[in-house]
Amino acid sequence: MGLTQDNSLPIPPAGSLNPAGSLNAVDWVVGWARANSLWPLVFGTSCCAIEMMATGASHHDWARFGLEVARASPRQADLIILAGTIVEKMGSRLVTLYEQMPGPKYVIAMGACTISGGPFYYDSYSVIKGADRIVPIDVYIPGCPPRPEALLYGIMQLQALIRKGAWRKSLTHQPLNTSPIRDVYSDCSKAWEIKEKAKQESMKEAQERFKAENPDFKGVVIKRVAAPKFDEVARVPKPARGMPPAEIFSALQARFPAVAVHGNADVTQEKWAALGPEYVLDLAVSREDYHGVVEFLRNEPALKLDFLIEITAVDWKDHFDVIVHLQSLDHGHKVFLRCNLPHETHPEIPTLMDLFASANWHERETYDFFGIIFVGHPDLRRLFLDDDFPGHPLRKDFEDPTRVVKRPY
Amino acid sequence: MSESMPQGPIQPAPISAAPAVSRTGAPDAVKKSGSLPPGFTLRDVRPDGSHEYFLNMGPQHPSTHGVLKLVVRLDGETVLETVPHLGFIHRAIEKMGENETFIQYMHLTDRMDYLSSHINNLCVCLAIEKAMNIGVPERGEYIRVIVCELQRIQSHLLWWGAFGMDMGAVSAFLYGFIEREKITQLFEELCGARLTMNYFRPGGSNADLPEGFIGKVKTLCEEMKFSLDEFDVLVSQNPIIRERTVGVGLLSKERAISNGCTGPVARASGVNYDVRRNDGYSIYDRFQFDVPLGANGDSFDRYRVRMDEMRQSVRILEQAAAGIPEGQYRSKEKPNYKVPAGSYFAAVETARGLYGTYLVSDNSFKPYRVKSRSPGFSNLSAIDEITRGGKIADLVTVLSTLDLIIPDIDR
Repeated sequence: MGLTQDNSLPIPPAGSLNPAGSLNAVDWVVGWARANSLWPLVFGTSCCAIEMMATGASHHDWARFGLEVARASPRQADLIILAGTIVEKMGSRLVTLYEQMPGPKYVIAMGACTISGGPFYYDSYSVIKGADRIVPIDVYIPGCPPRPEALLYGIMQLQALIRKGAWRKSLTHQPLNTSPIRDVYSDCSKAWEIKEKAKQESMKEAQERFKAENPDFKGVVIKRVAAPKFDEVARVPKPARGMPPAEIFSALQARFPAVAVHGNADVTQEKWAALGPEYVLDLAVSREDYHGVVEFLRNEPALKLDFLIEITAVDWKDHFDVIVHLQSLDHGHKVFLRCNLPHETHPEIPTLMDLFASANWHERETYDFFGIIFVGHPDLRRLFLDDDFPGHPLRKDFEDPTRVVKRPY
Repeated sequence: MSESMPQGPIQPAPISAAPAVSRTGAPDAVKKSGSLPPGFTLRDVRPDGSHEYFLNMGPQHPSTHGVLKLVVRLDGETVLETVPHLGFIHRAIEKMGENETFIQYMHLTDRMDYLSSHINNLCVCLAIEKAMNIGVPERGEYIRVIVCELQRIQSHLLWWGAFGMDMGAVSAFLYGFIEREKITQLFEELCGARLTMNYFRPGGSNADLPEGFIGKVKTLCEEMKFSLDEFDVLVSQNPIIRERTVGVGLLSKERAISNGCTGPVARASGVNYDVRRNDGYSIYDRFQFDVPLGANGDSFDRYRVRMDEMRQSVRILEQAAAGIPEGQYRSKEKPNYKVPAGSYFAAVETARGLYGTYLVSDNSFKPYRVKSRSPGFSNLSAIDEITRGGKIADLVTVLSTLDLIIPDIDR
């Protein structure tokens, strides 16, 4: 229905064929041609890209709207569908892509992230709160992610715009806004309160009259659908596989007497049993023992913890815990380690890169987030954030009002 | 191209220990200009006069499946070193998790690995259940297995289509999406969402299966068997695909383990590890299924392991659909989830490998720290070793067979 209406744009009347009028007719034809041969850039950053792919694929098939020529190069495209969140690091690249496209060019913001930051509006230090802060946007499609039908409708809206001759200067974009971000939610709720108050004022008289006329009225009784009731179900624990934690610990304590079980300073036979069948050995090691313990756990044939699940850290405000999760692929048992580090700007701990190749990125990530230096790491750069990013964001004392909007509730 | 580089067919990538530590091997020209891109260690310095250059691939590149940037050191067409750069879709999910309740955090895991969103949700649920000692009724467990296996097939189908696209076969993309759309519609019926589900809850799921769901799953299983045979004829037996994948992008078993690879990538290299079987979370220990393994660890093995996994998932689905009992689908709901102080770890097998959730709680309604161990993160870190010595065209094949989801890596 909408499509036929859009197609029936008025052709300039024949009687008005002066030079300007004839130009209008040419514009109409050009607009019609442009609208029906959009070449989108293959640009997808996250979830919405999958729905964009689904729109392009067999079931929904955007070729019906003249869009099937998706190009990988911005030089050959005239439409960017911003499918997915735009983060700060990607922002400058997006501006470059936009500048590289020849005009006339169009941008569709697909999904909540590109409209306002969406689910990543609050507390995120890297997401740009709305792609229209950096590039101009023609059509917004809400959804998280929008359905393929919504994207098709958005494309049809853009086509209608193009047929009407809407265009913009080819090189307009704003620089990245670095001022503190306005909390739109709080602003809206304040405005809403004022409106509600005014509404109450205006209805006061009518309400009083209603009360006077119906003194027995006790309010509307709302019938709710009864929520289903469920019984408690007893949990069936899955016993941890492989070697029992007590045996691993005694094997380790023979070599490293200083190693302790986290939260249980002196474990006895009864205490091991009380920890339950699911318990995974959680060791507290000192900085001096850290590398030696991991090396021992990895190389001891009976333990053979040859797989590094992850390295991470926890900021406890007065100290850091560096956490290492190890697993034995053959035997199935896991061992977790934690190493207490002082709360300094850059606390130091030995690297595990000589034992596990995967430690490389895990340690870079931990450095990026917490500023912990892994001594002996050959290439300790930031992993996710730009080199000039101020501070280490997963520390509890990290604050940056130019990037982070705090949750008002 | 320099004389010392192997000519003709692709040579297996040389497998060495951890990369060299020092940068002292840099050629004089690079040292003087100081223009060495970050991350390069310049192993095996070429003789003077070799045609060596650096090439940026991404973050805007169709074969990087999102926004991954690779800087490749090339000698002619031959890849000498690959340095990935991450963070182009780093959305601070772990920081956000610290300010959301445990249940609110779940919707963020949907958006990490959006092709395994049910399975990611399940991992968070398992960690909370472990912490708060919540049981799951029988029907709830069956629902979890059915939905997770549907999700695995759906993810692999998308991968299969995208793999075909990367090889230049558009028909694979179209065929893959026909089957995928059927599962997407099942999910829509199930929870109203096509991609970001947020369906599981600690103790079960937030709704029962809709009417007729099991019948549809049974029909889908029959259709999938037929389609998978069709896919084999279309792509697996295609001589061009085989030429481009067999013997390309080798990863040895030892290096796969050391690099932390899991999932189909590790299994193609012969690492006999699947969280579903080795840990038996949920009720996976009740079902009969094989863990397909590869022998060579090349791109074709990674391809074949995923194709076989879809067949095994169909097998699990058939057993689960036949055995699902009646009864309540979740245990008693709690008004809020206050997790006792401590740290809890749960791991699941997503379509890409071991996904782990590490929750640290200080006895409150919000996690003190939450960390996701994503499978793609470690799988991607092996790319330098896999592509070393190969051609740049094979880099695209390798990227495709690693099945990367960049938001899962960047989080």
